[in-house]
Amino acid sequence: MKEANHPPPSQESPSPARGGGQCGGTGGGGYYDNPIVRRPVWTWEVPAYFWLGGMGAGAFVTASLAQTLGSADDRRTAADGFYLAAAAPVPCAPLLIGDLGRPARFHHMLRIFKPLSPMNLGAWTLTAFTPLAFARAASHAADTGLLHGPLRGLTRLLPRRLTELAGSLLGLTLAGYSGVLLGATNVPLWAKSKLLGGVFMASALSSGSAAVTLQAARRGSPEATLHRLATIESAASLGEMAVITGYLMQSGKAARPLTTGRFAAPFWLGAVGIGALLPLLLHRFATRHHGRTLRSLSTAAALCSMAGSLALRWSIFEAGKVSSEDQSASFELSKA
Amino acid sequence: MIDGYKRLMNLEEPLPSKKAKGFFTDTSLCIGCKACEVACKQWNQLPADGFAITGNSYDNTGHLGATTWRHVQFIEQAKANESRQEQRWLMMSDVCKHCANAACLEACPTGALVRTEFDTVYVQQDICNGCGFCVPACPFGVIDRVPKESTFEVGTAHKCTLCYDRLKDDMTPACAKSCPTASIQFGDVEELQHRARQRLGELKARGESTARLYGMPEGKEAVEVGPLHAFFLLLDKPQAYNLPEVPRLPRKTMAERYGWSAAVGIGFAMVAALVFRGGRR
Ligand code: SF4
Ligand code: SF4
Repeated sequence: MKEANHPPPSQESPSPARGGGQCGGTGGGGYYDNPIVRRPVWTWEVPAYFWLGGMGAGAFVTASLAQTLGSADDRRTAADGFYLAAAAPVPCAPLLIGDLGRPARFHHMLRIFKPLSPMNLGAWTLTAFTPLAFARAASHAADTGLLHGPLRGLTRLLPRRLTELAGSLLGLTLAGYSGVLLGATNVPLWAKSKLLGGVFMASALSSGSAAVTLQAARRGSPEATLHRLATIESAASLGEMAVITGYLMQSGKAARPLTTGRFAAPFWLGAVGIGALLPLLLHRFATRHHGRTLRSLSTAAALCSMAGSLALRWSIFEAGKVSSEDQSASFELSKA
Repeated sequence: MIDGYKRLMNLEEPLPSKKAKGFFTDTSLCIGCKACEVACKQWNQLPADGFAITGNSYDNTGHLGATTWRHVQFIEQAKANESRQEQRWLMMSDVCKHCANAACLEACPTGALVRTEFDTVYVQQDICNGCGFCVPACPFGVIDRVPKESTFEVGTAHKCTLCYDRLKDDMTPACAKSCPTASIQFGDVEELQHRARQRLGELKARGESTARLYGMPEGKEAVEVGPLHAFFLLLDKPQAYNLPEVPRLPRKTMAERYGWSAAVGIGFAMVAALVFRGGRR
């Protein structure tokens, strides 16, 4: 009996009237519901790489800043961040190569230097950053007595300040270029706002500094150092929320595949809630505590921030594929 | 010094440039016979895309892609509106626009995408490593990557070559050659543009008030991507043919994007520096 509720088919609007300037379905008045741009062909390897690369870079930058400006405690504690900075990029190259249509030709990426292409710039940056991160981690290992023999002697030759400076500049490039890369396409969710590079940068720095906090909490470093790291991490989380807000506002309707539907939960709950809000609250709460409680709270906050960073990359990445099929958002992007 | 750099970077001298070649696709002449689609597939030995019915008029091709380099659209305009009293059926053979400022070419990190001596945009199949960046970069949704499981040039990016092989032998591209109504015209871009202006004048004189050219140097669609070397005469607004009003060239906003990213990075570094310094006292 339910069918009786349906209105009879209208005589005025014959069904084939969809193409050519007449609205139909979810389209924006274009050719049927056909998308304007092609759907990105990349798979999960790409957001995983963006996440790891960004986190490693963020950890390197945080640890380097502590080396240059921090107290003796800060320096000792934060130097452990160099381990993570060296470990995180290790899976990056395999991930990047695995996503290629022709993995055996990965080295073609380095046959030219073409910074105009963010993909090329990123490949060079990763290639340059990884050995620097390794060298700096090795010299830290030598300091703490983990490295012996001739290798230890080799690390003495390393100009540390220079390595930290160069590594930090490369690290900042690595942390931000991924968002610029996605923005340098015609996918509305990625390209409409100019802030995606800033969003990814903030996420990389908050998760990277969180990784440093994580190691510091585990190794039982002085509470003053933990508090300082928490302040830095919280500043990064606040910055991240501010940039995300700007990004969503600039994107307008183009952000709908991210803010509603399938990717709303990973984005709001994962990236914003667990990735930024929860660590802020936990760190705030931790300021009143000491000893074990402080360390557990810091650890929890750091883990949340790191996981949230992955949720952010993944949800924006996947929602971009949906956005590429959004005809009206594409027309909006190309409005004069 | 420069020579050494060129050798190191595998930079070859480009071939001496010839006159720019392109297509003028006059949609007012198209009868939707799809001869261009078939000729393109045959000459370029592109595999079939499977047998699918889209339900969208006579268009069962769907869209341009890695193995479809010409696509005939069938636009049914069954309702009259303020600009038009009669029902009509528009047809248009879509193709890679061979943009003067090509987003795909600028995105390509391997240098696989190059500009040929005919000023066309071409993917070198032996260089492309299938990174896929050109795919979402193209503002027209033209270029695509072949899936990793396929019988055809697995994993690399493909699009119209403007029959580069035929051009080398002074032959007309397969689609233009096969078009029975001269809806697809091939030639020197400059001369085609001249012809297009004339044809537009003719149509306007006959009362086709909504006719327009798309991809000419003076058009607003050329603001970012430059004149299109494969351009069109349309009978309705570009939107009706799924063509963007102002196709975006990612390079134009790249500096701003890097700028915001750097601003966030520098802001963080300053805060962290202050906090660490504060700890030394
Ligand atoms: S239409 Fe797309 S694929 Fe063709 S040259 Fe322009 S950007 Fe490249
Ligand atoms: S898929 Fe091939 S042609 Fe496209 S950008 Fe990557 S290397 Fe260049």
